[in-house]
Amino acid sequence: MIEINDVTFNYKNSAEPALKNLSLSIREGEFVGIIGTSGAGKTTLTFLLNGIIPHEFQGDFYGSVRVNGLDTVDNPPEAFCLTVGEVFQDIDSQMVASVVEDEILFGLENFGVPHDEIEQKLQKVLRELGIENLRTREIASLSGGQKQKVAIASILALEPRLIVLDEPTGELDPQSSREIYELLRRLNREKGITIVVVEQKIMLLCEYVSRLVVFHKGELVLDSLPRDVVSHTKLLKELGINLPRVSELAGRLMADGLYAGQTPLTVEEARAMVEEVLIRGRDGKI
Amino acid sequence: MNLLHYTPGSSFLHRLNPITKLALAFFYGVACILCDSVLGEVGFILLMLAISAAAGLGARALRLTRTLAILGLFMFVLQLLFVRDGSPLLVIGNLCVFTSGGLKSALLLSLRVIATMLPLMMLFAITQMNDLCNALVKQAHLPYRYAFIVTTAFRFVPLFTTEFREIEDAQRARGVEFETKNLIKKIQLAAPLCVPLLVSSLKKVDASAISAEMRGFSRRNRTSGFKEYPLGARDALAMAFVAVLIGISAIFL
Repeated sequence: MIEINDVTFNYKNSAEPALKNLSLSIREGEFVGIIGTSGAGKTTLTFLLNGIIPHEFQGDFYGSVRVNGLDTVDNPPEAFCLTVGEVFQDIDSQMVASVVEDEILFGLENFGVPHDEIEQKLQKVLRELGIENLRTREIASLSGGQKQKVAIASILALEPRLIVLDEPTGELDPQSSREIYELLRRLNREKGITIVVVEQKIMLLCEYVSRLVVFHKGELVLDSLPRDVVSHTKLLKELGINLPRVSELAGRLMADGLYAGQTPLTVEEARAMVEEVLIRGRDGKI
Repeated sequence: MNLLHYTPGSSFLHRLNPITKLALAFFYGVACILCDSVLGEVGFILLMLAISAAAGLGARALRLTRTLAILGLFMFVLQLLFVRDGSPLLVIGNLCVFTSGGLKSALLLSLRVIATMLPLMMLFAITQMNDLCNALVKQAHLPYRYAFIVTTAFRFVPLFTTEFREIEDAQRARGVEFETKNLIKKIQLAAPLCVPLLVSSLKKVDASAISAEMRGFSRRNRTSGFKEYPLGARDALAMAFVAVLIGISAIFL
């Protein structure tokens, strides 16, 4: 549904391009994780997907981006915002209202959803995110996780086919981070919504996404299944990306020639790997 | 606790139409300005306190009155020293410090300032800015663009306060001592913080604008708003009440 073809983007007054010769396609129904150190071009990539770049930011744009066949240069961002919804990095500044229900209503009202359908849609999205009890609360009084859910709800209300999230768990504790990812997985599996998420926590990504893309200094370095990506332990370390501890362990075992199976992604898989190595050690096979 | 913060409730005042609340606060102020008696102004302040107490906001109204009293005191001193009508009341040597006319006019003006401002400040306690703006767009045909500017400004105040505290803490961690009694010193210390605050604020405003744009801000028109703000008997009653107040103030006080 998204075709990025050889895109280079250089923000005005910046010496280095934020993205270099990027080609990437995102298919309907995927759950894509984007990872990379800061300055890798992750946020810039999220702006490409709905025409915010080149329309809202000045700079030199080369190449083409097509969303469902429509070129983002020829069409205003408005043409894409019902297809591609974006949850921005800064939770507070993307809110437009002070009460939860007004925040969700904003998009519905603007896009002229008939008034007799609005109440029903509002209730539906609140129910889907399990935040019915927050409906009349002031946004300023909510916790980070609750705010993030409201931000997702206000986008989800517009029924986009793809949701882009820029570090949705950046300010959240591990428990709420997991809740957000469970929610995204549900939206992806049950409603078939394509999800693209920029994230620093590689462990979370590995557990939830179906495809992991690694960026470094504006270039796409790796693009594969999470398991394949984390098996590049040496490369990821050079790029300064934290590895899940289980894959790091696997990497060391492999380097020492003690293990040759597939790279584990979860603690359970790592446990199986360690047991296998220990048993082989006990039996004198190593 | 922010003095302009909305306090939820279900009193008569809370349930009025937002536009009625605004008109009420405004015309209550008009009545206070028309009033020419010191006792009358005291009466208006007391009446406002009583009305607030009836809406469950007595404590808030008292605190606001105290804050406004500082402004009142300032006006009082200025008027006292600069109005020279009537007979001299306090004379030191050859210098007349203040006169009877000055005292009367100072009392009247300072009380009038408090009486006029109080209902306007109380308006924020009983009205959601969003509701007020939506109602103004729907019924008073205010362009949405302006309503959005007002709501956003109010919404950003606490965000900027937090931001300022964070910058201040960052400076404090590097050894800047903000805990000084000297007001001028304090201002000197806080002034350089305005630049980082301004920069981060502008970034936030930019992000906010993009976010609003991506949710169809430019498509919005007068009829987009989902919530309705009908005017009812309650509103008529409240307006009649304030009309009577203006009448009394203009004729008798």
